[in-house]
Amino acid sequence: MAVAESRTTGSQNPADDEGTLSDALLRQLMAVGQVDVLVGLPTLNNAATVIDVVRAIHVCFTRDFPRLRTVLINADGGSTDGTPEIVRAASFTDAEVVQTSYSLRTLHRVVAPYHGMPGKHAALRTVFAAGELARASVIVVLDPAGPATTAQRVTELIEPIAQSSVEFLAPRYRRHPRDGVLITQLVRPLTRALYGVGLDEPLGAEFACSGRFASHCLEQAIWDREAARFAIDLWLRMEAVAEGFSIGQIWRPLTLTTGARTTVREAVHQVVVSAIESLRSHDVFWLRAGSVAELCCWGSDPVAIPEGPTWDYQALAQQARHDIVEIKELLGTVLEPELLARLLDANDGASPMPDDELWVQIVYAFAAATRQGRAGVDHLADMFTPAYMWRAAAFMSQTARESPAAVQARLNSLCETFERLKPELVAAWSAGE
Amino acid sequence: MIQDIGEALVQSWRNFASAFVLFVPRLVAATIILAGGFLIAAVARQAVRRVLAWAHFDRLSLRTGASEMLRVAELPTAEVLVAKIVFWIVWIGFIVSAVDTLQFTPFQGLVGEFYRFVPRFILALLVLALGFLVGNFLWRATLLASVNAGLPGARLLSGALRVLVIAIGAVMALEQLGLATGVALTAFAITFGALMLGLAIAFGLGGRDAAKQLIEQQMHANKQRNADAAPHL
Repeated sequence: MAVAESRTTGSQNPADDEGTLSDALLRQLMAVGQVDVLVGLPTLNNAATVIDVVRAIHVCFTRDFPRLRTVLINADGGSTDGTPEIVRAASFTDAEVVQTSYSLRTLHRVVAPYHGMPGKHAALRTVFAAGELARASVIVVLDPAGPATTAQRVTELIEPIAQSSVEFLAPRYRRHPRDGVLITQLVRPLTRALYGVGLDEPLGAEFACSGRFASHCLEQAIWDREAARFAIDLWLRMEAVAEGFSIGQIWRPLTLTTGARTTVREAVHQVVVSAIESLRSHDVFWLRAGSVAELCCWGSDPVAIPEGPTWDYQALAQQARHDIVEIKELLGTVLEPELLARLLDANDGASPMPDDELWVQIVYAFAAATRQGRAGVDHLADMFTPAYMWRAAAFMSQTARESPAAVQARLNSLCETFERLKPELVAAWSAGE
Repeated sequence: MIQDIGEALVQSWRNFASAFVLFVPRLVAATIILAGGFLIAAVARQAVRRVLAWAHFDRLSLRTGASEMLRVAELPTAEVLVAKIVFWIVWIGFIVSAVDTLQFTPFQGLVGEFYRFVPRFILALLVLALGFLVGNFLWRATLLASVNAGLPGARLLSGALRVLVIAIGAVMALEQLGLATGVALTAFAITFGALMLGLAIAFGLGGRDAAKQLIEQQMHANKQRNADAAPHL
């Protein structure tokens, strides 16, 4: 089994694999040769969980795809907890004992630390470039922190790409409808309305794609942009939609988010920057996109709805009230006076008043403001955060005693409002040219 | 006697006639300069407006917050304002030239003075504009950063910073113009010094307990803010 360490170097040309990959990694990949399936594992201090994921990948390779040429690429972002060493030294003895079949080919494992701009995009670029060089027809990227990653789960990601015409497979989770407010109130309805695609989890960490899609992505100019640090997951999905690649979804077990060290302000900031980057990159597509198309879905629906989240939305409401008043003057540079007055009204009082139409108009006003250059993207994202906090608190307050079905109906209604008001954004965006 | 009076009148008339004959061409020339200057200034105004529109100057002014400030002050848009300033500089230049053409003794050397003043005036305007731009940018950045950090009095802090930066810009602009340099600098130094001293005394002596409480609250709030993104994603 090939185990080596190498470094990636920065490249001005994203399409230039030999510039993206270090000499050592190139040598290892040349030793591996052409592969059918490449599994990428971007890691950063995942020593606690990575061993199980690596074993699951190994079992998947040996048990389910013994005739395919496979390789595991661990792109490490500079872990200080020994993650690369664990991957390199992982013993598969236990796993192999329980298997009845063995791979007919050599199993390859490459550990490739990257030292460019920190972030998942740099790891993905390494994985994609390696996939292009090894001519992989299937590329799978796994979440190293996923405690529920089993061999079966890895196989489920590989099979649709290998056996059907789908070229991008995004995860789909069975959530409580009150869970993931940033997804359900902003990212999902926005991408659904603008891109016309029924994608449940536009920010999911895991995915699978074809080698053709990976090569296409490498040719794009996203990789060297600062925004790519946060934007890459959303951008990949929207790029697949905008460029006409066949996309699908797959049920995955819902894992607890690994962003526990991230504050809600940082999360909103990153998501807004991602959304703006995607909107700018794909405006030719979404300005003309039509009605929403539902996607093919693989895997089995867990059906059972997990428990709803319990967090202090009243504290968030209080924070939103304070922050919106503080930056009222700034919000006035983005929102029309009437819209700002409605936001202040809705945000006034003990409990925030939910208003779907107002929320959608605010989101679209911010999107249009990026086009009109009313402020820098970072400032707009910061200005948007209190508005999101109002919306999240209002939604949680409104649905506190509602059944999951009733909450889901509200989410569907919000998606419809986003779709209904899309022409307003299209007009504002076009006027800002 | 009567003959002397007659000669004096004739001489006076001759002087007036010769002065008039000399003055009329200058008056005509001054009128032409005024009329031509007005036309040239109007053309320059239009040209500047078009160039600024082509260069998307409105976006820059929106982005820097200048548009908002002009709107609050009930001034025209930045594009129109710059075009107007150009118009008046050109137009006043021609007016001064026209007056100089008339060769009135009190106004002699006016053209030279004007052309020495124009670069200083333009530089002063640029310094002032830069002060507004930097002030607004810092105001926005400070306000957002303070609100995100949960600092109390975010508006006061950012507003004070904006006023300070704009005031520095204004003093520098006045210095460029050479107008009341000493008074402006002294007033600024006294005000700024008094403000800082007042804050230092208030925070260091009177507000020691409040400062301690504020820092403790801040640390507590930061702890609470950590790890709160999970339910949103």
